Amino acid sequence: MDVNQLQRRWFDLTASLFREGFLDDQYTQLQQLQDESNPDFVFEVVSLFFDDSERLLNDLATALDQPVVDFRKVDAHVHQFKGSSSSIGAQRVKNVCIAFRNYCEENNREGCWRCLQQVKHEYALVKSKLESLFRLEQEIVAAGGSVPMME
Amino acid sequence: MTTVQKLPVSTLSTANSYGPSKADGRGLSNQFPAGLRVLVVDDDTTCLKILEQMLRKCSYEVTTCCRATMALSLLRERKGGFDVVISDVYMPDMDGYKLLEYVGLEMDLPVIMMSSDGRTSAVMRGIKHGACDYLIKPVRIEELKNIWQHVIRKKWNDNKEIENSGSVEEVERHNKRVAVDEADYASSVNEGADGSCWKSQKKRRDAKEEEEDGELDNDDPSASKKPRVVWSVELHQQFVSAVNQLGIDKAVPKRILELMNVPGLTRENVASHLQKFRLYLKRLSGVAQQQGGIPNSFCSSVEPNSKPGSLRGFDFQAMAASGQLPPQALAALHAELLGRPTGNLVFPGVDSSVLLQASLQGPKCVPIEHAPIAIGQPLMKCSPNISKQFSQPIEGVPSGFTAWPPNSLGMADPSSNVVGLNTPSSNFLVQMLQQQQEQQSSPESSHNINVQPSCLIVPPQVSNGFQLGNNPSPVSQSSTFSSDNIAGYSLISSQSNNPSFGVGQVLDGDLKNVGVINGYSVPGVSSMSSCSIRPENHTIWRIPGPSSNASIINKSSSFAPSIPEASASYGSRTSGFSDQGLGRNLGFVGKGTCIPSRFAIDDTESPRSEHMSGRIAMNGDSNKLIKQEVNGDLMDSTKVGIPGVQYFAPSDLMSIISK
Repeated sequence: MDVNQLQRRWFDLTASLFREGFLDDQYTQLQQLQDESNPDFVFEVVSLFFDDSERLLNDLATALDQPVVDFRKVDAHVHQFKGSSSSIGAQRVKNVCIAFRNYCEENNREGCWRCLQQVKHEYALVKSKLESLFRLEQEIVAAGGSVPMME
Repeated sequence: MTTVQKLPVSTLSTANSYGPSKADGRGLSNQFPAGLRVLVVDDDTTCLKILEQMLRKCSYEVTTCCRATMALSLLRERKGGFDVVISDVYMPDMDGYKLLEYVGLEMDLPVIMMSSDGRTSAVMRGIKHGACDYLIKPVRIEELKNIWQHVIRKKWNDNKEIENSGSVEEVERHNKRVAVDEADYASSVNEGADGSCWKSQKKRRDAKEEEEDGELDNDDPSASKKPRVVWSVELHQQFVSAVNQLGIDKAVPKRILELMNVPGLTRENVASHLQKFRLYLKRLSGVAQQQGGIPNSFCSSVEPNSKPGSLRGFDFQAMAASGQLPPQALAALHAELLGRPTGNLVFPGVDSSVLLQASLQGPKCVPIEHAPIAIGQPLMKCSPNISKQFSQPIEGVPSGFTAWPPNSLGMADPSSNVVGLNTPSSNFLVQMLQQQQEQQSSPESSHNINVQPSCLIVPPQVSNGFQLGNNPSPVSQSSTFSSDNIAGYSLISSQSNNPSFGVGQVLDGDLKNVGVINGYSVPGVSSMSSCSIRPENHTIWRIPGPSSNASIINKSSSFAPSIPEASASYGSRTSGFSDQGLGRNLGFVGKGTCIPSRFAIDDTESPRSEHMSGRIAMNGDSNKLIKQEVNGDLMDSTKVGIPGVQYFAPSDLMSIISK
């Protein structure tokens, strides 16, 4: 596959991620922050996000699995998840987090549990999408091209 | 102690860190705001990384930190190493608000809070805690590009505050500037009160400090043009009594303004001063915390109408006495409200016009230097001009002093009425602290300092009319203090001007028969001092050498007579001490331990005698404070076993004033 083709696929994928609400403007901000001095910035940040998220999802599952749920603790985790997901522009994850926090406030264990499943799902989705995006970028670079900038 | 001492210093360095010219808005380097030193604190590493990159893009110098506690120690380590702090709100190790509070108290840096929680209540909370901005996550680079404005704004606001109320830091920082535009104190509300004495004294001080503050040369022209209100001691007293009347929690600028009823004073002036005042109270609590590990609650709860004996005040005084709390720090704290520079322990209050009057009337004051010198331990330094005013030294005073055992009780200088007490043993302080802590629980005694009615404003004439009869205020000795180390002493001194005063007595017959105190009433002539010290230890109190800085006391001696000072006698008296005719003026007071405290704001700064007269609160047993209101004559109040404190209700004072 030549560079042009790869780049076109990159554009399409990126556009769909935005169109389907997986990503928002914040992700664009990240891309703009990437420069020569920090060429892998987006990848690094997103990787950090993945690490954090997996830890948080585990913590959430544990917290909600307690006989007596400490909703404040759950809320703190969700709050952090919301913060980091919004920071990288993972919009759909963030949106679930908002709903999740409402259930926390209500001390609604059922609702929280449902949200946890939802957020896991959204997270898995955006993770796989981003991973394919990064793979594509690597291919572009490997083919001697450069990753295009989003407008 | 060190932490407290650092307070002003750190502020100073921080403020200057960015360089005056930059902060001034003039002569900014071309790169500004490039190089702004930003500390970012967030437990979320993803956010942290993004923020770091964003800030780098803005050409700021970024330091990141994912633990609030780490951030705090970093800030403490590198004082003056940052210009602005950006902190997340929710962090596991320390709440962002807590960090904000510490930073505000210790470093006085602008702090920007951020959180993904954008609810109004959350933002409001941040603002209330003193955040200069609140960013909602995800933070955008556009918002960060602008954060330098907070650094500049803070600087400018500080400048403005100096005009209005002034705070120690600013005064220190801009000392020179103030001196320069002294000429246009035009709109000072109470110009009269700020006599030339004050100015010259200030100049002197300025000159001294100039060397240290090389950087302070920035004169801000815009600042000097705005109308400025100088919060003189009198004005501040009025303010404090208004706040007292209303209660600190209910005191709003408008009501305070109404109560003060000072022409020319605006709601804004009051609001700004009130803010300072609150900050000051808060800072006091912070200091206390750092110092003695006194629980915050102890200090922070300010009861509106606090009773005279404030433990809090007490602490500080105690600390000051023991040398734990450097007087400068204390003075600085107090002075903050009055906006007076506190380079040394010179009492600005002395130069107030009132004092001037007093000195003119009855110049029988002993120059400050005498007393302390006689004892060999100068308490405080007074600026030369002050002493000049009191031109007539009283002879014999020195001898009186010498008669005293050096370390037993120290008294002071007439003109300034300085009494210095120093506790040699630090454990004493510890005891006090302990006691205070114990007493925290007792509502009455626990809070107060702040609102201490420091306001006895009595015109000299009035004071003559006043008779102070026996105003003995017995203080019972608290069990805590019973250890040998404690000494209670009370000095009452009257100024020669006020013949009527003759009282001072401490009663003691009533007091458990323990010790009698000497009250002298020598009208016009000498002041009386009575001290009772527990037999066990005679050596406890001594006059602090300058180095120890302990004490202080009332400065406005001229008024002393008018105010019956409460003398505290702890249980027994020492025979050795009995009468000492001290110099004539002084009046002051004793509250055993609390003495030292009086200094700062109240004593030091107030030209009139504001004594907080009754503050003593140490009573171990009952924890009760007795309020005595003065009705123009003497009251004799002796409560046995109970620490009596004389307290002048603000209203009384006001009425006196109005007469």
